[in-house]
Amino acid sequence: MMQFTHAAVTAPPLYPNGHHGLGLGLFLDVGAPRARPWPAAGSLFPTLPPSSKISLGNLNSAGCMEQLLVHCANAIEANDATLTQQILWVLNNIAPADGDSNQRLTAAFLCALVARASRTGACKAVTAAVAAAVESAALHVHRFTAVELASFVDLTPWHRFGYMAANHAILEAVEGFSVVHVVDLSTTHCMQMPTLIDMLASRAEGPPILRLTVADVGCSGPPPALDMSYDELGAKLVNFARSRNVTMDFRMVPTSPADALTSLVDQLRVQQLVSDGTEALIVNCHMLLHTVPDETAGSVSLTQSVSLRTMLLKSIRTLDPTLVVVAEEDADFTAGDVVGRLRAAFNFLWIPYDAVDTFLPKGSEQRRWYEAEVGWKVENVLAQEGVDRVERQEDRARWGQRMRGAGFRAVAFGEEAAGEIRTMLNEHAAGWGMKREDDDLMLTWKGHNVVFASAWAPS
Amino acid sequence: MEVDTSSATAKSGGAPPLPPPGPPAKKKRALPGMPDPDAEVIALSPKTLMATNRFVCEICNKGFQRDQNLQLHRRGHNLPWKLRQRSGKEVRKRVYVCPEPSCVHHDASRALGDLTGIKKHFCRKHGEKKWKCDKCSKKYAVQSDWKAHAKTCGSREYRCDCGTLFSRRDSFITHRAFCDALAEESAKARAPPAEDGSSGAAAPPALPPPPAAPVPLQQLPPAPAPQQHEEPEREIGAAAPEPVVQYTPPAPLMPSPPSVNGANVSASTSSVAATSQSLLGSMFAPSSVAQAPQYPERALAAKPPSLCLATDAASAQFSAPAADRQQQQLPPPSPSPSAHMSATALLQKAAQMGATSSSSSFLRGLGLDISSSSPASTSSGQHHHHHHQQHHQEAMQMQFPEGSLQQWPPRLEPEPAPMMSAGLGLGLPYDSTGGPMGLPELMMGQSSLFSAKPATLDFLGLGMSPTGATTSRGLPVFMQPMGGAVGMARSGTGPPDTFGAGRGAQGKPWERNPSSSPIL
Repeated sequence: MMQFTHAAVTAPPLYPNGHHGLGLGLFLDVGAPRARPWPAAGSLFPTLPPSSKISLGNLNSAGCMEQLLVHCANAIEANDATLTQQILWVLNNIAPADGDSNQRLTAAFLCALVARASRTGACKAVTAAVAAAVESAALHVHRFTAVELASFVDLTPWHRFGYMAANHAILEAVEGFSVVHVVDLSTTHCMQMPTLIDMLASRAEGPPILRLTVADVGCSGPPPALDMSYDELGAKLVNFARSRNVTMDFRMVPTSPADALTSLVDQLRVQQLVSDGTEALIVNCHMLLHTVPDETAGSVSLTQSVSLRTMLLKSIRTLDPTLVVVAEEDADFTAGDVVGRLRAAFNFLWIPYDAVDTFLPKGSEQRRWYEAEVGWKVENVLAQEGVDRVERQEDRARWGQRMRGAGFRAVAFGEEAAGEIRTMLNEHAAGWGMKREDDDLMLTWKGHNVVFASAWAPS
Repeated sequence: MEVDTSSATAKSGGAPPLPPPGPPAKKKRALPGMPDPDAEVIALSPKTLMATNRFVCEICNKGFQRDQNLQLHRRGHNLPWKLRQRSGKEVRKRVYVCPEPSCVHHDASRALGDLTGIKKHFCRKHGEKKWKCDKCSKKYAVQSDWKAHAKTCGSREYRCDCGTLFSRRDSFITHRAFCDALAEESAKARAPPAEDGSSGAAAPPALPPPPAAPVPLQQLPPAPAPQQHEEPEREIGAAAPEPVVQYTPPAPLMPSPPSVNGANVSASTSSVAATSQSLLGSMFAPSSVAQAPQYPERALAAKPPSLCLATDAASAQFSAPAADRQQQQLPPPSPSPSAHMSATALLQKAAQMGATSSSSSFLRGLGLDISSSSPASTSSGQHHHHHHQQHHQEAMQMQFPEGSLQQWPPRLEPEPAPMMSAGLGLGLPYDSTGGPMGLPELMMGQSSLFSAKPATLDFLGLGMSPTGATTSRGLPVFMQPMGGAVGMARSGTGPPDTFGAGRGAQGKPWERNPSSSPIL
């Protein structure tokens, strides 16, 4: 039986005949900066709207969809089953999952909201059955073979940008070192390592001895999921390194971001004790740090002032690394309220949907994988709480604060890195760009920040 | 240069009188600029040149470009057939000129030596390039050119032993590290690096397939023959510029591992997810949601080893059909616009008429019963809808000049944004009086699905029964504000840059040069 809970004190007042009131709904947008234009899906010709727009009329705008999603989220938070259901219904009709990029984006959010509704409050009964279906779809995240994943990460510069920036910074940092220890904290399963090995192999002074330590966060981590054990993966990497005349030692450490990678850090600390101090320690953080709980994550058995995230960075600092590279998405999904996260995610994750239109046909399998990955993100941001919510991106400025706070100073990227990234971006769709922000590099899509790369040395 | 070297063979074979069996393939191939002075110069109209398969068999619908070939084909059906008789003496060589006056081949002295050649020339040089490469967006007028290109696009730089091609070194390196081909290679690491020969540069002149000359008459549908002739040739040519030496296989006979590159994967997928279903619709049919993406590479792995003797050939055989299928896939499954349209149209119609639609037709309009929306209400709804949309577009167009172009990069300040929220009328889900006053009633109207009839109420299909408390205002109230939104935009109440900001992206290219972009 459905409940109506009208205890929602934050509920906006009712304006009957509201369409005549100019101020109506203004409060909803207060504090919601609209930082981006919304390009018509894949179209450079604003006067020729895609046919789907014609059929959907004025409902099919990003702003409208965002508003509906926000209302839906509010209704869910207010435990208002009927209202939730109604908005879901409207959203479902204006946002087919196979529509244009706006609609697909909205459909992903809709799914996430359904999932949230099924887990919270009185709407639970309403949406449980639906959510079960959604979940079974969501659970079906593709498990990549390594080769598939290798081509998958090259679909966009999303990851390759960070790889390139990091590799160049690392190469500079390890100059003169004959032993290089790379700790790869990444969600992309070592996909960066072959190019790093290749670069090290061809450096002027000859290849170093390479030790690679990889954080294995298990299969519960964020996508992409890999259909291969890290042992196999490591064997392949070692084999590849050998083919490039690099002596490499691979080690995998099972660990969890939920406890700030403690087991990994502990291992590194032990190694540090026995090392003679002649090796370069590189900590390569690629899209993984944001999964370590920040201050807003609940259920952390620590003092309130120190988050696991801060703790991790500080303990990395105590290892006295030669260089730490951080590549993360320049977004902030840490808002405590779901509406805030919804807005933030909606205004960031349009980018992958918009970008995918330029290089993968609708209905292609890779596109489904790609969009499923984004959908996973949306679902995690909106529907999960506590330690289950691992998509806790913070923006570049915040990461900078954190790194400086942990005792690091920024290291600027060289021209070579920038130049090579530009060349790479030229081979992708025209929307991709790169700019420098302070010492960091920023990947952009149509002028909007996407992913930043920053390099840090102990200060 | 436009002469297609391969096409002449089929043609000459197809000529019924069977000129002397020895030289036919070569004989007709005349280089431009060196026509046989005795040749008959043919000037075909553009229409004729562009025509394809004008002669169609009434039995099996197979099409032929030439009547003679159709006649030959008809013999296979035991139909009456007639071939033009020509006395051997009168066989005159024909050359063909291009109908385009500005073209070099318009001059008889530059005529092309065979019909297929002139057709391809005309199509290439003066026809529409309607075949576009997915990868590099190059366009081709002739389908076979496009196919040949698609096979080798991006192959200029890096080719893994598994057959996958890469345009960028880092893509290749990453693939290479994880590809089974490397493991196999290092297993055979002792093999001498004799790859230069094996990468195929030597082959071209040696391997041209036997000309079609001696083939018996019945087998002479002209189209396939040149095709088969062409492909190996191009494949070899494409393999030649291979610059990567260190990674090529030590032994050319090594069976190539199943290639799992993107093209193959996407091309060989069985069917795409139930994309035409609307979200909720598919939620209710979990079986369709949970559709398992199959592992296409398993199928590819079945590649018989014998085909892999020459990796190039094998990959050609596999990629040709793949390209075909990919092409077919290109038009994405149409997202059943009618369902969505009718839903929206119904919404808007209801908005105007006060939710008079009966609950059943309403339900159908929601896309819950996609196939059977009631035609009457749909069409009338659409009428209204188009009308509506027109206004909307006008408003947008009027606002572009001011707003869009100068708005790049977009300002970061918060936009006033009264428009959408106000327009949606969604700022009023709660009644200050405490009554249940949400969207539901706002949308559903007096006939509310959600109060009266449980059977239809349950559009979520969840078997939950709604309380009867939720009746009051209906869809109109919800919908009108949307009209209001447009109205506001139109009348310029909202600052023009709200739209401008929204569309500004089109005003200016981004930092990259557009030429490097395939699609954008």
